[in-house]
Amino acid sequence: MRISAPIAIVPVSIIGLGNVFLGDDGFGPLVIETFRCEYAVESAAVEVLDLGTPGLDLAPYLYGRKLVIIVDAVHADLPAGTLSIFSEDDFVSQRAKLRITGHDPGLWESLAHLRLAGEAPQELIVLGVNPESCGFAEQISQEVFCTASEAAAMIAQLLKERGIVCDLLKKAVKPNLWWLPVAQIKDAAAA
Amino acid sequence: MARISIDPVTRIEGHLRIDVEVDGGTVNKAWASCTMWRGLEAILRGRDAREGWVFAQRFCGVCTTVHAMASVRAVEDALSLDIPPNAQYIRNLILIGHALHDHIVHFYHLSALDWVDIMEIPKADPAKAASIAEGSSSWTGNSRRELEAVQNKVKGLVSSGQLGIFSHGYWGHPAMRLSPELNLILFNHYLQALEFQRKSCQVVAILGGKTPHIQNLAVGGVMNAINLNSLATMNMDRLGMLQAILEDLIPFVQQVFLVDNCLLAATYPEYFKIGRGVSNYLAVPDLPLDAKATKFDLPGGVIMDGNLSSVRPILDWKDEGFRKAVTEDSTHAWYQGGGPLPPYKGETTPDYTDFKEDAKYTWVKAPRYNGSPMQVGPLANVLVGYATGHALTRKWTDTAFNGIAAVHGLKVTPNDMQSTMGRYLARSIRSSMLADLALEHLQLLTTNILNGDDTTYNVPQFPAGEIMGMGMHEAPRGALSHWVVIDKGTFSNYQAVVPTTWNASPRDEKGVPGPYETSLIGSPVVDPEKPLEVLRTVHSFDPCMACSCHTLDATGEEIAQVKVQ
Repeated sequence: MRISAPIAIVPVSIIGLGNVFLGDDGFGPLVIETFRCEYAVESAAVEVLDLGTPGLDLAPYLYGRKLVIIVDAVHADLPAGTLSIFSEDDFVSQRAKLRITGHDPGLWESLAHLRLAGEAPQELIVLGVNPESCGFAEQISQEVFCTASEAAAMIAQLLKERGIVCDLLKKAVKPNLWWLPVAQIKDAAAA
Repeated sequence: MARISIDPVTRIEGHLRIDVEVDGGTVNKAWASCTMWRGLEAILRGRDAREGWVFAQRFCGVCTTVHAMASVRAVEDALSLDIPPNAQYIRNLILIGHALHDHIVHFYHLSALDWVDIMEIPKADPAKAASIAEGSSSWTGNSRRELEAVQNKVKGLVSSGQLGIFSHGYWGHPAMRLSPELNLILFNHYLQALEFQRKSCQVVAILGGKTPHIQNLAVGGVMNAINLNSLATMNMDRLGMLQAILEDLIPFVQQVFLVDNCLLAATYPEYFKIGRGVSNYLAVPDLPLDAKATKFDLPGGVIMDGNLSSVRPILDWKDEGFRKAVTEDSTHAWYQGGGPLPPYKGETTPDYTDFKEDAKYTWVKAPRYNGSPMQVGPLANVLVGYATGHALTRKWTDTAFNGIAAVHGLKVTPNDMQSTMGRYLARSIRSSMLADLALEHLQLLTTNILNGDDTTYNVPQFPAGEIMGMGMHEAPRGALSHWVVIDKGTFSNYQAVVPTTWNASPRDEKGVPGPYETSLIGSPVVDPEKPLEVLRTVHSFDPCMACSCHTLDATGEEIAQVKVQ
């Protein structure tokens, strides 16, 4: 009984990394949910995923992709809440001694494996925020929380620059930020 | 006498520190220490019991599914709520997909390089390697051309002098003994495994909506809509897609993963005599076959003192013996109080003291079964199955034993399995069993749907008073149980007794060490600067500390520090 062919690889992955219980480390999941609620992409072309802290299990989502955008907290010598875009070369070169929170061993090992197998993504971009704190906490810092829409807009811009359709929704859907305390979401809505 | 500290022990999932004392080339004392605090149980208290699984699956970034599953099962147990057969089969297929993924990644990407020396690969003769590989397996990915291509990639890597992620291996260690050809064959499979771990993720994603962090669970069943006449739901097209993926994936498990473990076992037979450790085994029944979960495809049971004929089967999840036997002690863990306490009354209040080998030295508590430390994992799963005469376990265990004997006549017995090599072999045996069971459970699901049953969910009703429940799951690393106390629909206590807590357990209140610690006693250490033998034994348990202590730290250490004093 073989009815359908195995699933085709979606050419673009937008991946949020981070542990939602470690304060600003939850930036990746926050931005992914915000992007999903503010923009529309063609699902056969772009996959939008919150992958948490997958370690080596990241590899399947980088496998054979044309473009991967990773969204994560990145420690740099900048004020908390600063958004930056890095290319793969920025991390490889000595120029930027950057450290992605907690998950970088998984990211670099996955990339190295895929390169050997000839299945590494053609382009890798990291959209990072400089975190205030990535300690055990139920809440994300206000500096990082308020950058979510701006970060989503940066993802949209990156896609458009590469000719990938990405439409701003006329009316945004309410994001489901189930892991954050209700008070933080209410404060944000009030502001 | 030399004192060796290895921190962290794993390349990816850090946070495990192992200390050993070596005298005359042999380990005579060992301590396992987890270096992260657990905090998620505190987050779960006060939450709605229907959404606990959403939080619980963030216990770990890798084994997300297993905690989601144990959590809904715990709440359903508290409510005495059955779930529809479709929900059982869908959950089972997700569990199998996840386990196959996890076992493949453990063997190839997290531990094969303890045995495979990459620096030997350039010396291999690809034609000879192809003939060895094709002689031991019907797998089609072992051609001379394929092996030559992989060898050229490795030659490029070695000649560039930039080994990148491979720069920290113990290359050239005297305990590395595979021939250049076998090194090439296994490394070829290391790269091919990337594609198959992806396929096993697809199984989970098709049924779970997404992976990691599946979206389809609910207390009472699953949220997959079944309608054979709708494009948007579970229909014959989706079932066919799953069948096609499994048909691609299964040969890799049964003809590559299992065969590679047999080749490894035949080359390193001394590891059947190393690393036995705690020889009490615990496995819990899983892959239920009916709504009420009375019959299971994976048997559970308890074996004491390595005596297979002493096996006490755990027939189902209601097993009173299991519920009464489990306790956790924190005499040597960084928590207040001592113990031992049953999980329903478990406490998790931190009391950090730094590493004190005679007092508190880890964030992992000491779980005990009727007061005894237990080893959990694929080996426990396979030994319990073998001891109870479970046909599928016997079929694949015997296949593995015959595969090893075919190399140079080595006869392996179930008793030899109680060892470092046995833990590796058991993981590949269990995977081969799960591969068969994947097709069986897909067939069960299809037949049930074709018979006209489209229910997937029973509505939970929470009573006014306090209720308690326990959910178990035979996860990739072994027996997992979540214990919940629910008051008016919200959690008033939540404790997870996870596989790595059993295996990485510290000494208990009586000073009895846990499985990692015991398994290292007597291990050879040829070179204290490169304690490869210790790593092989610890890695044989597939250590993963994230859920045994429940939070990741952000220091991102990349390389193990080996300190010899």
